[in-house]
Amino acid sequence: MSNRTAAPRKLDLSLIWKVFGTAFFVYLFFGFMLIPCLNTLSQVFTANPDDPLAVIKFFFAGNMPSFVWNSLKLAIALVVTVNVVGVSIVLLTEYFDIKGARILRLGYMTTLIYSGVALVTGYLFLYDNDGIITTWLVRLFPDIDKSWFSGFNAVWFTMTFACTSNHALFLRNAIRGIDYNTVEAARNMGAGPFKVLLKVVFPTLIPTMFSLTVMTFITGLCAMSAPTLLGFDSINPEIVRLAGSSTADEAFPQARAALLSIILAIFTIVLLAILSAYERKGHYLSVSKTKAKLVKQKINNPVANVLAHIYAYVLWIIYMTPVAMIVLFAFQNHSATSLKTPSLDSFTLVNFIGTQDYEYMTSRGKLRTRVGSISGVFSNADTIGGIKTSFILSAIAAALACVIVVVAVNYIFKHKNKLRATVLEYSLLFPWLLPTILICYSYRIFFNSDDVWYVFNQNLYYRENVRLLIIIAYTVVKLPFALRMIKASFYAIDEELEDAAKNLGASGLRTFMQVKLPIILPSVLAVFALNFNALFTEYDMGATFHSSYGKTYAMVIQNMTHEEGRDGYNVNATGRRNASTVFIMCVSGAILYLVYGVGARDLGERLEARRRWRERMKRMKNLKYVDTAAKWAIRIVRYHNRS
Amino acid sequence: MNVHNQSPAPQDSQPAMINLKDIVVRFGDFEALHNINVEVKEGEFFTFLGPSGCGKTTTLRTITGFIEPAGGCVMVGGEDITHVPIEKRNIGIVFQSYALFPTMTVYDNIAFGLRVKKKLRESLRTFRKWVVKQEGLKLSHLVWGWNWKKKWRLFRYFVRWMKGWDPEVDERVREIARKVDLSDEQLQKAVSQLSGGQQQRVAIARALVTGPAIICMDEPLSNLDAKLRVGLRNELKKMQRDFGITTIYVTHDQEEALTLSDRIAVFNNGYIEQIGTPNEVYNHSATEFVCNFIGDINRIEATTAARMGLPEGEHHFVRLERLRVNQPVREDETVFTGRVLSSEYYGLYIKYFVEVDTQVFKVIEKNDGVSIYAAGETVSIGIARADVMSYPAEAMTVDAVTHAQ
Repeated sequence: MSNRTAAPRKLDLSLIWKVFGTAFFVYLFFGFMLIPCLNTLSQVFTANPDDPLAVIKFFFAGNMPSFVWNSLKLAIALVVTVNVVGVSIVLLTEYFDIKGARILRLGYMTTLIYSGVALVTGYLFLYDNDGIITTWLVRLFPDIDKSWFSGFNAVWFTMTFACTSNHALFLRNAIRGIDYNTVEAARNMGAGPFKVLLKVVFPTLIPTMFSLTVMTFITGLCAMSAPTLLGFDSINPEIVRLAGSSTADEAFPQARAALLSIILAIFTIVLLAILSAYERKGHYLSVSKTKAKLVKQKINNPVANVLAHIYAYVLWIIYMTPVAMIVLFAFQNHSATSLKTPSLDSFTLVNFIGTQDYEYMTSRGKLRTRVGSISGVFSNADTIGGIKTSFILSAIAAALACVIVVVAVNYIFKHKNKLRATVLEYSLLFPWLLPTILICYSYRIFFNSDDVWYVFNQNLYYRENVRLLIIIAYTVVKLPFALRMIKASFYAIDEELEDAAKNLGASGLRTFMQVKLPIILPSVLAVFALNFNALFTEYDMGATFHSSYGKTYAMVIQNMTHEEGRDGYNVNATGRRNASTVFIMCVSGAILYLVYGVGARDLGERLEARRRWRERMKRMKNLKYVDTAAKWAIRIVRYHNRS
Repeated sequence: MNVHNQSPAPQDSQPAMINLKDIVVRFGDFEALHNINVEVKEGEFFTFLGPSGCGKTTTLRTITGFIEPAGGCVMVGGEDITHVPIEKRNIGIVFQSYALFPTMTVYDNIAFGLRVKKKLRESLRTFRKWVVKQEGLKLSHLVWGWNWKKKWRLFRYFVRWMKGWDPEVDERVREIARKVDLSDEQLQKAVSQLSGGQQQRVAIARALVTGPAIICMDEPLSNLDAKLRVGLRNELKKMQRDFGITTIYVTHDQEEALTLSDRIAVFNNGYIEQIGTPNEVYNHSATEFVCNFIGDINRIEATTAARMGLPEGEHHFVRLERLRVNQPVREDETVFTGRVLSSEYYGLYIKYFVEVDTQVFKVIEKNDGVSIYAAGETVSIGIARADVMSYPAEAMTVDAVTHAQ
């Protein structure tokens, strides 16, 4: 007996779709996930035909293990500090009653609107050799080492604050989900606030904390933009360097890069296996039917209360200073930015739009003018090119990932508990097991050839083709995240809705388009927005595929860090970099607002908003007193003129 | 809406609208329905009643086509529809959760089925006719001519049509909405903006709008609070009478089943224990299960039964309201003296727990405000032999019951 419709099977459109869909997913999995990565794996053992283990021997004989150790050191250090800061910011804004919690929360969440290379350059602007804070510190303490902000400590510091976005999102939700009745019960039984925190609140947060710890560890291990820009030898930057190197310079560069990628993949797989094993154990859940909303806890001890406030605002200052400085200096001219002395007189929009000439004195004492050397983000061909490239590639890839996943998840839900659905799901989760850099490196090596038959013998790393390769890489890398999020949204669809549509005569496609898709659309748009935001300033893949035909926005921003003022060119690179970061913040902020603010409204709320808007317009039209007031104003003016 | 009396049961001479013959449903190795045979007359309000997991919803889903039976056949109007696809069965469904499309307005929810059934070409023809008749416009005005006002008006109508509006559909939707008491204003709302009762009406309107021969309702009142449930129960019955449509109703609530139905099928473990009118099921329960499942009941213990002269080797039951407290003795009545242990006050009536020897009887007495007994008070209880329902001690196997039916 089967729980299915009684429709007789016949050769129809749905069968063609099935065949086409199966072919597509097989092509995607084997062609762009498995084969390129297996090729990378084989490189390690085929680099030296005489000795398959030559690369491994060479690897351990040289200084390569130090890169692995550095990455591990960074990951372990980050797990400690990110958790301390992440838990602190969530407790300070959601659990304890701290004055000005809303403003604090806004500050702590700034990492959601700018991250990656934009954030690192922001920190550089503050703490670099000639950074604002370093300059001010040098003025105060002349003996201080100007290059203090580099290497491991700089990366550790920057990433500690950059990686708390997940805590701000997920741990906040977890703490909000705590049933306040359990806190009250503990208090009623005589437990103090800190005992309640340790014995009642923390145990419920452990599953989320564990997931966040694993994710932080992987982030630390796979760090790319911070180590590259702040000068720290870790795995990812080394892979990119080796991938661009040739055998003339050093031994087995590609094979060593492949081996590093594989080591990274092994770490990731082990960690994710631990995570999923832990997730399968189950979670602590409140069993009450009526949950009470968490009420913020007052810190009764006055000393502890003051210390908590000081700690909260110090953290807030650390989060907000780069943002404030970036915004401030994005509107300052070149000289104010160089001297780190902002003023109203130096206000300019040239970092955003327009060009200016730059006058400078040569070594022979001649005054020279470089025409159009100062240019804004939207007037600089290089920057605008980067924005265009990143915008188009990110939008296409984010949309593609959503479309592929929506189709796949619809199929998975239709064929629950069937082997083919499970296979499809795991194949789409496959890229999650591999570090981004391994996928990109594999693409770069494997598709840099005319011999790949299933891409019609086209070299995808050649000239404009690289853009297609970037789109494919972006899409593949974002598939697991899209799958997890969109699959969760499919659970919200009541199965009876599908039955109802079927009963009313709707076909499968119609049911999907008119019933299911509108329900999951807010989540799909949210995934699209998050993926787009992440890809728009994405650095790792951009750096791996870097070429003049595929120069992404992140690479343009990175270039701005070391080209300023050379021979009078790109004089305002720092200003433009700040303006770029402001632009990224605006784009990300707007997208997040549209998706989570406007897009999250249900039909009822939208209809209500429309009704209110119509009423307001009606009232505006009926405002006769505006006419009357205008007439009286004219009369008064005339009267005054006469008198 | 006014409360209406229960309609009389359809006559036996009426043709059978639905006929389930030897329906067997299996889920893997588990047999959920065993040889189910049901005949539902045209225009009848027929209820599947039973505890959770007894097979009533499975039977309903077999009729609607969501489940294909492993054996037997489903006949509707004399035609075998066992293998007919869901959408071609012409059966409307009201789901337990109503299954209203949350991203559509009430209007779009009701119109959905009509839009699906209407072919594009047919819809365009209707629209063209309507535009000519109502507005004196031709579709060619969209392209030809210089009357921009006309063009703009026509364009707006055309956009509305593109969004799914159709004059015939519109007329039908508004007609059905009027019948189920939904205003024009409510039609433009989102389903989330309606109350539970209004949502139920939308679900019924959506199921009825395509003109189905049968309507199936799967516990449509279970999501509502007790007071609303009673109100809507009456409305539901009125609607069924107004539309005169054959209705299959699934519920586990015996009160709902008794008040709404023309006939009831009581399910247990994938078998039907009894089919009959509410009175038959309540007063002449065919099996011990039905007797226990419908209403509250006292089981007469062996010693008490012996005092009443009831035969041994049988289980004896008597309904609470048939026990008479402190009343003059009747002819075939056995009177017991007992002590009131406690009472439950329900307003309209009072429930007493009376201890008689080793047995505690539950008794319901109308609350007349005078004869109210306190705990500890001694009372007499009269039980008439005619009110006792007896069943063999070795319970009749359900297979045997089905066979007997």
